Amino acid sequence: MKRVLVIVMLGLLVFSGLVLAQEKTKVVFWHAMSGTREALIQRMVDNFNLTHPGIEVVAEYKGSYRDTLNAAQAAAVAGNAPNVLHSFEVGTQQLLDMGIFALAQDVIDQYGVVIPWQDYLEPALNYYKIGGVQASFPWNSSNSILYYNKTLLDKAGVTMPREPTFEDIVAISRAVINAGVAEGGITWPMHSWFFEQWMAELGANLLNNDNGRSGYATEINLLDPAAVTIMNWWKQLYDEGLWINPGRESWSQARQNFTTQRVAMMISSTSDVNLTQNAAFDGGWEVGTAFMPVPLGFDRHGVVIGGGSLWLTKGHSDAEMKAAAEFVVYMSQVAQDITWHQSTGYFALRKTSLQALDLEGWYKLHPNYKTASDQLAESQISTATQGALSGVFPDIRTYIEDAAEEVYGGASVTDALTKAKGLIDQALVDYKELMGG
Amino acid sequence: MESKFPSRRLPLLILLPTLFVCGMFLYYPLAQSFSWSLLRAAFMGLRTLYVGTQNYVRLFTSSAYLHSMWISIVFAAGVVLLGLSISLGIALVANRKVRGARIYRTALIWPYALSPAVAGTIWLFLFNPTAGVVNFVLERTVGISPDWVTSRNLAILLVVTAAVWKNLGYNIVFFLAGLQNVPGQVIEAARIDGASAWRCFWKVTLPLLSPTAFFLLIMNMIYAFFGVFGLVDVLTKGGPANATNILIYNLYRDAFQHNKWGMASAQSVILFVMVVGFTLLQFRTTGRKVHYGG
Repeated sequence: MKRVLVIVMLGLLVFSGLVLAQEKTKVVFWHAMSGTREALIQRMVDNFNLTHPGIEVVAEYKGSYRDTLNAAQAAAVAGNAPNVLHSFEVGTQQLLDMGIFALAQDVIDQYGVVIPWQDYLEPALNYYKIGGVQASFPWNSSNSILYYNKTLLDKAGVTMPREPTFEDIVAISRAVINAGVAEGGITWPMHSWFFEQWMAELGANLLNNDNGRSGYATEINLLDPAAVTIMNWWKQLYDEGLWINPGRESWSQARQNFTTQRVAMMISSTSDVNLTQNAAFDGGWEVGTAFMPVPLGFDRHGVVIGGGSLWLTKGHSDAEMKAAAEFVVYMSQVAQDITWHQSTGYFALRKTSLQALDLEGWYKLHPNYKTASDQLAESQISTATQGALSGVFPDIRTYIEDAAEEVYGGASVTDALTKAKGLIDQALVDYKELMGG
Repeated sequence: MESKFPSRRLPLLILLPTLFVCGMFLYYPLAQSFSWSLLRAAFMGLRTLYVGTQNYVRLFTSSAYLHSMWISIVFAAGVVLLGLSISLGIALVANRKVRGARIYRTALIWPYALSPAVAGTIWLFLFNPTAGVVNFVLERTVGISPDWVTSRNLAILLVVTAAVWKNLGYNIVFFLAGLQNVPGQVIEAARIDGASAWRCFWKVTLPLLSPTAFFLLIMNMIYAFFGVFGLVDVLTKGGPANATNILIYNLYRDAFQHNKWGMASAQSVILFVMVVGFTLLQFRTTGRKVHYGG
């Protein structure tokens, strides 16, 4: 009897030892990509889990960028933040101020993971570099480009230059409407992001204090000639019926206007290349891309990095931190960078990726994917194109979009911008005070 | 009906679960709202700064906030008046003994069971200016395509209509129950005395319905101030240019989008005091006219 007991006990010990030895390190990854991108991420995560025994990454779609950030805040307060968080670029200052994230460079140094930063596109790195230290891992980077319906433009007898001007857009819009081939000339989501991109293109800092990068910003430059020019152009396009309003921050509505050929042109993120090409194929028309338009008489300064990056949270065990770091490194590798780029349109972050695709002639067959990278490569390096850093970006975007709506409703551009500036300046000062800056 | 308990402890014990839940989910958050309204807070409380009454002062001197308050009152008036009158009319008709009355009554109650997000999405698909069914039909028949969400007045109309529609079921159920409690003999007696249908309704039915109507008045008001949030979020997001930015939506935006938890808490306190004030006012005025007793 005693013998049986001993054998059973030994068996249980060995069994539990085996079970313990096989416990995987769990890494929780929250992201903000829905639809086909969510499926794509899941495939990439599955591949990682397959090739990295001992680590199990669990990916969760948490909603929009704002929802994901809110979920992260709530989790941080409750004490169970995810290991890896995907956040939009304008959340950067907030994430830094929350104090719950480990800086990317610190993680790399501490856990000895390898990331060849020199192989990355500099503007993408620079956006997320704070005080010379890499704070997060760039992941889905984009900028805005101009999409156009080649078929409709041909029917109207106009062509799109590689680097159009505001005046070109107005002329082409009028041509397609007069030729009766489209209801409207152009559309884009009524979103402050585009305003921010245009400010950079025109070489203007959105905020003071070097765009919020040398200290907490206290003023927004909404009365800068660049800002007034942009808003006046928006007003002109709306008043003349050349721009169709898809609704506030309505990305899918804008895409729909374009893919159903209601309008001949669309300005949107480069991450829509894959989507629009599929829609064009289904609809039997051809889609082309071009750089962001600038007004005549203004130099073209370049675009700001949009999209998001990956952040690692502090306060986990060493094993979890290392596993999370390995996962982020994996997602940044050339193979994954190329997969992500080709399946969406977010541009390739690694110079090696660009070289490989060039060498293999892929860009010759799919030129639309290259437009954003070219636009970025030709961007000047300045604080304007580095992008603004602020903890009150949600406020900024709300008030700028309010101003645009007021302008469409008939208010004067200067009045609307002055009102928005007053509200935003107050919010900036409040935030700086709250952070003790 | 009174119950007699042997000791004091048992009733307290029985009440404890309810008190605990109420405490956790109602009273504690309420208290926290009051305390947070005196702070400037970010990141759900990870960063706070004591600012005293600054939030309240800023709100009451902000034309945008006062506009939001005005819009909410207009909105509430619309939802309450339209909601109660339309549902009373429907309830009167639904009270008749016709074939399939049961089916009609179930169908009338259905919209109430929808979640606000689903109801909002239905209305969005109907009234979306570019892709909606209503504009599709209107364009091909009458040739107009109104901009339901970009025009201020149309947007308000859209949200009010959707809100009224969503709550019709609730009102109809209560009115039907109230109507069925009106004793047939009283109506008959009035008829025999020569009263017209309208007089019957006004002088007999309505007073007997007044407890129900009063109850629904309060409930609809609470619904108009708080429960319409989902519809606004799906349909207009407070727009265009803050035309439908009712108080509850404004405070949601400040909390969950602008990361201003102190300011949002102050707004929730003001909204709370407002609705409590309106309710007390109703009890003092209209409440006096309610005719209780069979």
